[in-house]
Amino acid sequence: MKNILSISLLPVLIFFLGCAEKVAEKEDLEVADISYGNWEAPAVNIAKLDFESMPFEKLSDYGFFTGKIREMKPQKGVLTYEPASSLFTDYAHKSRFIWMPEGAAASLKDDIEGSLDFPDQTVLIKNFFYPADFNQPDKDIRMIETRLMIKRNGTWEAFPYIWNNEQTDAKYKVIGAEIPVKWQDEDGKQQLINYIVPNKNQCKSCHNVNEQMVPIGVKAKHLNHSFDYGNGPKNQLVQWQESGILEMDKSPDDIASMVNYADKSKDLNLRAMAYLDINCAHCHRAEGPASTSGLFLNYEERDPLKLGVFKTPVAAGFGAGSFKFAIYPGKADESIMTFRMGTNQVGAAMPEIGRVSVHEEGVQLIKEWINAMEEKKF
Amino acid sequence: MKNNTLTLLTLLSIFFMGVFSCTSSTTEMTYDSSKLPRASQDQVDKVVEAFMLANDGDVIDIPPGFYNFKTQLILDNKNNITIKGAGMDKTVLSFRELRSGGEGVKLVGNNVKIEDLSIEDAPGDGIKSQHSDGITFKRINVTWTNGDKSKNGTYAIYPVQCKNVMIDECIASHSKDAGIYVGQSENIIVKNSLAFGNVAGIEIENSDNAEVFGNTARDNSGGILVFNLPGLPKSEGKGTKIYDNDIVSNNHVNFATPLSDEPNGNTVTMIPPGSGVILLAAKDVEIYNNRIHKNKTVGIAIANYHITGFPAEAPNWSPYTSNIYIHNNDYQRTMKIPDLTKEMGQLISVYNAHGKGKTQDIVYDGFWDKSLSDNIQSNPMKICIEENGIEKLHFTLFDLWEGEENIRSSKNYSPFQCQTSIETDVSGLADL
Repeated sequence: MKNILSISLLPVLIFFLGCAEKVAEKEDLEVADISYGNWEAPAVNIAKLDFESMPFEKLSDYGFFTGKIREMKPQKGVLTYEPASSLFTDYAHKSRFIWMPEGAAASLKDDIEGSLDFPDQTVLIKNFFYPADFNQPDKDIRMIETRLMIKRNGTWEAFPYIWNNEQTDAKYKVIGAEIPVKWQDEDGKQQLINYIVPNKNQCKSCHNVNEQMVPIGVKAKHLNHSFDYGNGPKNQLVQWQESGILEMDKSPDDIASMVNYADKSKDLNLRAMAYLDINCAHCHRAEGPASTSGLFLNYEERDPLKLGVFKTPVAAGFGAGSFKFAIYPGKADESIMTFRMGTNQVGAAMPEIGRVSVHEEGVQLIKEWINAMEEKKF
Repeated sequence: MKNNTLTLLTLLSIFFMGVFSCTSSTTEMTYDSSKLPRASQDQVDKVVEAFMLANDGDVIDIPPGFYNFKTQLILDNKNNITIKGAGMDKTVLSFRELRSGGEGVKLVGNNVKIEDLSIEDAPGDGIKSQHSDGITFKRINVTWTNGDKSKNGTYAIYPVQCKNVMIDECIASHSKDAGIYVGQSENIIVKNSLAFGNVAGIEIENSDNAEVFGNTARDNSGGILVFNLPGLPKSEGKGTKIYDNDIVSNNHVNFATPLSDEPNGNTVTMIPPGSGVILLAAKDVEIYNNRIHKNKTVGIAIANYHITGFPAEAPNWSPYTSNIYIHNNDYQRTMKIPDLTKEMGQLISVYNAHGKGKTQDIVYDGFWDKSLSDNIQSNPMKICIEENGIEKLHFTLFDLWEGEENIRSSKNYSPFQCQTSIETDVSGLADL
């Protein structure tokens, strides 16, 4: 009976898919003309800024970058960094910087992830941009948004800035925006999406531990790898220590470290867990907003049920597709996890915010991982 | 119960669905928002900003109008906030064009109140509140206006992981899962509200200390549900009273299932249309003084998690329904043919103890914890039924232990004629 049913449903399915295709074609997005203005930001002494009057109206008001600020030449004391694995955000390229007041330093906490305790007035700066041609990532860059996280009086806050079309500066905007963006990908294909800048409170959809705003990427496990600051590769934690912004009394070998999920030389299980950690675990953890689901995807999780193996959904709605379990071992194509990663339908797509397109490489990795699990009956 | 359904039954159900179309569906709208004046982009942005920049103690007034949001309205961990519309028929927040995120409105904070407005067409949940202590929904209407209900969102009103939840005089309709869903919370009142056209009308899940009274749950697939699902941070809930409700004509087609008729992992996809009240792995529930009328399959179903066919093991969680007190309810059966679209419906329709195709008032699936007793006649799970004229009710006790090849049933209610006491105390919510 089941076979007959599925055959008779096939035309219906094809009809639905056909519809989806047409809708996508119809959506016509107008990409704004980008010019590159010559305006240069006046010098600002970051140390003298009044933190209580933040957020400032413009990104240039902070003085993190000198000259044409789109070139991201950091002011003295503004240090670049990079996590081993990074969150997928519609293929946007990213650069990250950190600033702390002179003499202040973060300290390493004694937990499994190597969380860092940051001093007040720490600023994290994250830029989202698209090179016109991904094969020439340093040329014709279009800056989209810059997000600041600032710690004041013991509390982090997030402030989103949106870049102007002249690419000279970015302006504070709390209600979010939609920005059509195009680029040519590594395979030479033209890509066009309606990039979404989240509204201010959506930041908390991810940056949330027990309803307190927290940074995500600045934990030892993400930073504990070597990174080239221009003088050859060096462990990033050591680099931070030498720059005086990190106090630690351990060697990096004794500190948690996560692999780069894109590094195919690494173990598949670790790569998949790294991917899920950086893309999902900010919500899907005991302290995060998606704890409601009981699905926990942090790098350290080992309980198969919490990771989704033979776990039925709770509140997935149509996000469950026609599937029973978050992970059906050995059957990626019958797992809710890959279904939700692979759809753009609002309400079903995971992560809920931060993407309007599917991360094909990421879905592929998780499929490979699930298919490599021993096929079992429940 | 799982996977292989009897071919004959499947055939039968297709036959009935196709030929007689005895499943019902409704797209009834409580209010018509199409004639409301459209709020300008500036007015829409002002509301978004009011949520973004709210300070403790704020009152956010949303004037009359139809507001079309492309971004979520999120209240971020604030205290003593009131969000106020001009009336359910006057202030309508539409999320039809929401571009990212699941729920339309999300409220996090302490002592937060939202009242007198409507929420339409959110892609995921209508309004969600999480990690809040003191959250009140009063005269909130949450619905979907799609003619095609398969496009509707999951929950209409959705407090989860909250303490002290008050839902009063609300309307929840057309959600693809539960209209009013309270999950992993404690101290809860759901009263004087209306849930219709949903798959599940009102659902209390993994929650403690809840009272559900004075509500109408009509024209859903299932009227009122009390569930405990495995593997959640709040592993189990107990203590629910359901009283003075009208649980009527919950015969709506179950539209939670996508594309095929096969249930997916959402438990709600298994609910047979025509169910008044369903208890699943529920603990300490009292059901009394309700009018349970014209639900074509079953008035009250007492079920254990085994019936889902899903893995039934999780820490600090039991798959059994236990300590239940059902009394003084008023039952009216219907002449409609019970459900044949879901396995549980087929079980009741075909294998009940009163004759094929007969609506049941109370069924018990008959699983019990064998470590407590070697027979169900000793009523090890303490299922107490004390209804007037019980001899005239259709009661069925199933025996499903031997699988679908050997399903047995009995009319004998005598092991379950007893009383038990259920404790709830929601007096602390009086000020909400």
